[in-house]
Amino acid sequence: MSDRTITVIGFVVIIALLVVLEILARRKIGRIPTLGGWLGFVMRRPAGRALILAGWLWLGWHYFAR
Amino acid sequence: MPAGNVSTDEAARRRAAAIDHHPVPLAGGEARGQVPAGARPARNAIIGAAVIGYAWLLGGAAPFSTRALLEVLLPGAVLGAIAYARPPERIPAPESVDMAGSSYWIIAIALLFEWEASAVRDGRPWHPSLTDLINPLIAPHPIKTAAIVVWLLAGWALVRR
Repeated sequence: MSDRTITVIGFVVIIALLVVLEILARRKIGRIPTLGGWLGFVMRRPAGRALILAGWLWLGWHYFAR
Repeated sequence: MPAGNVSTDEAARRRAAAIDHHPVPLAGGEARGQVPAGARPARNAIIGAAVIGYAWLLGGAAPFSTRALLEVLLPGAVLGAIAYARPPERIPAPESVDMAGSSYWIIAIALLFEWEASAVRDGRPWHPSLTDLINPLIAPHPIKTAAIVVWLLAGWALVRR
């Protein structure tokens, strides 16, 4: 197995983990909040709101302007 | 006199109920007379077409160009202005979240950043970053357009939070 394949598998596993967390949260298994609920909680404060929105803008710049 | 107070409170409640016919107190967009999102299909169709058209336009901009930069910044400015001047009805944020439950998200996101950082630091073809993997996937114009639409909708969802 090449190093590149291992890297790709690493990304796939981490993204799958994020998806599983969201599914568990929506099914109310454990005490995991949904991603939306968690972001909403972080954005209760102006600093958190600014940080999350800046992250969203950065994503757009990184993938669509570069 | 308790009985008198109860009767006065009851009368006040009835007067308030007669004025406000809504079953729940109005807030956000509804309080300003805005209608629910699904109530204007024609308007929603126009907005949807405009979003897709804009995404198509941005998807066609040359990388690293001023036009691409401005076309990314413009939605940010528009959403910022909407959030500040005329915020939509917001989805109520939870009063608290479970710290142990939140830690799963923090760990998973930290893992993603760590894996990405190690790839960027390496900078080798056999250790590609997430960007190196995603860019070829979204290179076709229609797919890039779809990705931009998802990004714009995510921005709108954040404004509603």
